[in-house]
Amino acid sequence: MAEQSGASVGPEDDDDATRSGAADTGGGLGAVSAFFRERPRLRTLAVAGPPYGVLILFFAIPLLAMLVVSFQTGEIGGAWTLSNYTDFLGSDTYLTVVWKTLLVSLQVTAIVATIGYALAYSIVRFSRRTTLLLLLVILPFWTSYIIRMYAWINILQSDGVLDSTLNMLGLPAVSLLYSEPAVLIGFTYVWLPLAVLPFYASLTNLDGDLIEASKDLGAGPIRTFTSVTLPMTINGVITGVVLVFIPTFGSFITPRLLGGTNNIMIGMVIENQFKSAFNWPFGAAIGMVISVVVVALLVLGTRLGGGLLATGGEEA
Amino acid sequence: MREFRDARPSVSRRRFLQGAAAAGITAGAGCLGGGGGGDGRVPMDVEEWPPEDLGSNLNMWNWYDSWAEWAVDAFGEEFDVQVSNSGFSSPDQWYSQLEAGNDDIDNIAATTNWVERSINNDFLHELPVDIMPAWDNITDRIKEASSYQQDGSVYAVPESLVLYPLTYNDEYFDEAPSSWGVLWDDEHEGNICMWDNATVSCQIAAMYTGQDPIQPDDYDEIEEVLIQQKPLLQTYWGDYQQGMSLFVNEDVVAGPLTMGRTYTARFNEGAPVHYTAPDEGAMYTSDLFVIPKGAPNPIASLQFTNWASETENAAKLFETMGYQPAVDISDELSEEDAEFTNWPDDWNLVFSETLSDEVRSRYDEIWTAVKAA
Repeated sequence: MAEQSGASVGPEDDDDATRSGAADTGGGLGAVSAFFRERPRLRTLAVAGPPYGVLILFFAIPLLAMLVVSFQTGEIGGAWTLSNYTDFLGSDTYLTVVWKTLLVSLQVTAIVATIGYALAYSIVRFSRRTTLLLLLVILPFWTSYIIRMYAWINILQSDGVLDSTLNMLGLPAVSLLYSEPAVLIGFTYVWLPLAVLPFYASLTNLDGDLIEASKDLGAGPIRTFTSVTLPMTINGVITGVVLVFIPTFGSFITPRLLGGTNNIMIGMVIENQFKSAFNWPFGAAIGMVISVVVVALLVLGTRLGGGLLATGGEEA
Repeated sequence: MREFRDARPSVSRRRFLQGAAAAGITAGAGCLGGGGGGDGRVPMDVEEWPPEDLGSNLNMWNWYDSWAEWAVDAFGEEFDVQVSNSGFSSPDQWYSQLEAGNDDIDNIAATTNWVERSINNDFLHELPVDIMPAWDNITDRIKEASSYQQDGSVYAVPESLVLYPLTYNDEYFDEAPSSWGVLWDDEHEGNICMWDNATVSCQIAAMYTGQDPIQPDDYDEIEEVLIQQKPLLQTYWGDYQQGMSLFVNEDVVAGPLTMGRTYTARFNEGAPVHYTAPDEGAMYTSDLFVIPKGAPNPIASLQFTNWASETENAAKLFETMGYQPAVDISDELSEEDAEFTNWPDDWNLVFSETLSDEVRSRYDEIWTAVKAA
């Protein structure tokens, strides 16, 4: 009996204890919830604070440090000066390099956007194995950037894979290595996955009925694309363009390994200031100017391209 | 250098903070008993050889990868020390660690000008070379070069000599080219290369135009000849492997390459290449073993520095990497290798002294202008 009694009493006690604990926990959570409910600013801070903290710690402060260094003479800790900026902005040589970099970046972005959009469109509209295809698209990311560049050296060099293939087909060799086309190929290969993924995301959200409606109303494929598909996916396009343009502008490895004597980009100049010229303030100044230029170009591009910043990306 | 430090009080503050941080971390590591050698001794505390109580670990940064791989095992077994090596591709990788306050690296294979920078910023331990037996093995040529000895103190032990010769295809050329002018010869258009390195390329142009590569007097002429050269080149190579591949694939027949890469191309890759110092001269520099302040195992590092400079271990450096050790290894080499390492007395070799800020800056401007032209 005692056991039975105990058996019968025990669970009730446990149940009470559980309920009591739940009530306590609920009360605690409720209190915390009420605390934050009454303090909306604190609630916002608790949610947004950590990511902003990371941004401040690892982006804003280093950027600020770079800004400070850019106003110093030859060595960090030296006297204040504007000469790093005036030397850079007053030099035809450096501005020529920036211009060349801009041209290459625009070419790469245009090529990647065109190929990437076509690829994403074909995956979304015409393929059933989307997961497998997307996996193949991002597959190169599993290999080191440098190794991928060396692979392209083997492909593009004289008597390399490309030339051998062309010879087998009875075509003349092209020996693309150490030329601007080689740089464009290298960049396109490296950044294509970065563009395809946002393109794919925006195309997936596109309502197919709108395309059908456009066709029903008599629009041809080009008209449908320019008046329906592209505008409805413009935010994805802008995101992809941004993801390609920025890293291309700052690149130095690809043009160094694949480019010839005429392929210089501003990233190579900046790298040189830090690694061999030992002029960190000048490198920092170039970096600051380039950052401002790139941000300005991107703001301009996004404003012209559909207002991603203004709409928060909800148009699609 | 003293003036440089005195003129920048903020640098001193930075050094103080870095030193304090490093000292704190080192002390913390010592309290936790990490790494061994945590008795606070520094290399100059060693008064008799061999040093006792090396500790149990050694963390080195050595970019002679193949040699380091061998040394990790060989030194570790001989002295019962757990050795690890971090390879690096550019000296700024370890230098930034020292700037941030080293508490990890025990031993570095550092290039001359970075050693000088490190000494000026008080990043390195002074070494008791007088009691290190292998110090006597270092050849006089390299002992006297470089600026790792300052105010009677020695901060490094030379590891190797790095020659920047003219490498050439010895099947294409009947005999070694006698002038850097071969890199400006229309006859070899499309079959020559230059190094994508402002200092090296400008110094070659300086020697070609008869100027002092350390303190040239006509920068315009250097820029002019480098621009003239551009159409003749296949490319500028920016990576050692890439530079070597140009010769191995016989894409080029002449250009600057290091002696070590030329050795690897010739003996490991079977490429028909050799090197020479043209009449105008060839630059050479050195890599040196240094022990950075904050090293958790400075005594093991000191023993390693001595061990690496023993003749048979230095010879291994040549066998694995093809670079001339700072030690005379002629007795250890095959006839073929001895012939390869022989630098004739009549070669005009110029030690690559650390350039002044002005020269370095001008070289950098010239090189950017040449590449942008």
